[in-house]
Amino acid sequence: MVSIRRLIVAANRRLKPWNMRLLHVPIWGVGMLVAVLWAAPFVWMLSTSLKPANQVLTRDVEWLPRTVVLQNYVQVFQHPVGRWALNSVIVATTSTALCVLFGAMAGYALARLRFPARDLIFGMFLASLMVPGEVSVIPLLLGMIRIGWASTYQALILPTIANVFSVYIFRQFFLGFPRELEDAALADGAGRWTIFWRIALPLARSPLIAASVIVFAFNWNNFLWPLLVTFDEDMKTMPVGIAAFAPSIGTHTQLEGYAVAMAAASLLSIPSLVLFLALQRYFIQGIRTSGLKG
Amino acid sequence: MAIPRAARPRGSARDDRARDLSGYLFVAPFLLFFLLFNVMPILFGAYVAFTEWGILGSPRWVGLRNFTTAVHDEWVATAFVNIGFYALIIVPCVTGLSLLFAVFVNQGWPLSSLARTLFFAPNVVAASVIGLVWVWVLDTQFGLVNRYLGLLGIPAIPWLTSTRWSLVGVSLASVWWDLGLAFVLFLAALQDVPGELYESAAVDGANPLRQFWHMTLPEVRPILSLVVTLQLIATLRIFSQVYVMTNGGPAGSSSSVIHYVYTTAVVRQLMGYSAAVSMLLFVVIVGVTLVQRLVIREQGGWFRSGA
Repeated sequence: MVSIRRLIVAANRRLKPWNMRLLHVPIWGVGMLVAVLWAAPFVWMLSTSLKPANQVLTRDVEWLPRTVVLQNYVQVFQHPVGRWALNSVIVATTSTALCVLFGAMAGYALARLRFPARDLIFGMFLASLMVPGEVSVIPLLLGMIRIGWASTYQALILPTIANVFSVYIFRQFFLGFPRELEDAALADGAGRWTIFWRIALPLARSPLIAASVIVFAFNWNNFLWPLLVTFDEDMKTMPVGIAAFAPSIGTHTQLEGYAVAMAAASLLSIPSLVLFLALQRYFIQGIRTSGLKG
Repeated sequence: MAIPRAARPRGSARDDRARDLSGYLFVAPFLLFFLLFNVMPILFGAYVAFTEWGILGSPRWVGLRNFTTAVHDEWVATAFVNIGFYALIIVPCVTGLSLLFAVFVNQGWPLSSLARTLFFAPNVVAASVIGLVWVWVLDTQFGLVNRYLGLLGIPAIPWLTSTRWSLVGVSLASVWWDLGLAFVLFLAALQDVPGELYESAAVDGANPLRQFWHMTLPEVRPILSLVVTLQLIATLRIFSQVYVMTNGGPAGSSSSVIHYVYTTAVVRQLMGYSAAVSMLLFVVIVGVTLVQRLVIREQGGWFRSGA
């Protein structure tokens, strides 16, 4: 079994230095071609989004726009995109902050403190991973409508806080945390709460970043729950609002809609991609550490 | 302490400490949200599944009727058959391609880290992006895929607009989206294979295919079963890309169980029936998970791999 610690080491290690023989060059060429093709849909999205509507459906494939225009983006902004983005930021930030904070506390206790039913609680968290979230959304929606919370921030935020991923990643980290640091503080008469805030948490930088990045990405991209619980155009999150540009759902017809749809898709994906490039290391490390996402 | 440190059994260091009830305070906030929003809806759902309930009306107990209706519902049958087909297409494609890509990137050839970024990138964007982009890429007349297939003399395929192809079309987009996660997991496993193993094999003259079969594959087997499990469960729950790309159509040919649950609840407002169908999927997923646990024994060590 690949251990967690070895995974973290592997994630931080640079790839092996170049050692290519002449024989490998063709294989390398094909592999890199596939890699570039893998990104082609993104290039095509961006390129289409910058084309004037009458240059989208061309006879030959045109990878670069003949003329670059921003009219598609202007059209996207006729919808309340700013509001959707604001909603997404509010929901994803609040939810991630609380999830990581509560997850760190729970993960610390489950790893370091001994109290009755501790293993039962952790077992329950793990077992819940087997239950797909989709099973509980319908009753959750009914409940939210009953208490009059449909289309509210609390309905969007509260159900996403208990993401077991966060507990798991912190528990793993604190299991391997040197006990001596805590013992010294305990001997000085510090309470558990002080130790957690002053010693444990400040040293948990790497799980903090890894959990934040992954949980944020999950919340930012979350789809089914915000789709169900927002009945109000102004309360939609970005992914839900942007989805309405799809020909199968929205009012745009296929032919007039592609350029605008690609502008919408670019608006939603470019921040994610830029953030990913900047934080790639933590992203990959977080996923490796847990083997989980969301 | 009377017992000398060395004499204590290993691993008991953690458990010989005094009980610390402040642990409950640390766990309480998370546990509260967990119970309220993860556990309660499931229990509530188990009740709702036995009722007839519109969004606004009050519930009426109908016993097993929702379940007997579901078993005879043609759309439910189609949805379950469809997720089976999705799994048959997506799981092997994601697993095979991601392993291939990971082996390639792991060679450490020039621009490997660029390739790593490109292979993983689709995994970070939202489902709506995947859906919108692939509807355009798979457009019958003007889409990229058909344009280039046309150059090879292959007639245009109605990827998303025919009952015959829609499921395949959605699967293509899903493979592109899902692959990154499996790819990263494989890459981590491969980086753990000691390089000396390959060097000695190369000296012995083992060809790359045999190296892969006899050395790489056994090394990554635990991760292989993890990837298959995660991907299988994710695929059985497929929804967002279906919703954005085809909305389940045409004629339900690309629908999934969760998509049916969604339309039943939101469009037809049959909350009880919808909850019952999602319970059926829950049973299927738990069943699949348990069977996998039995088949792949080492899987049990996954969560406990602390050290």
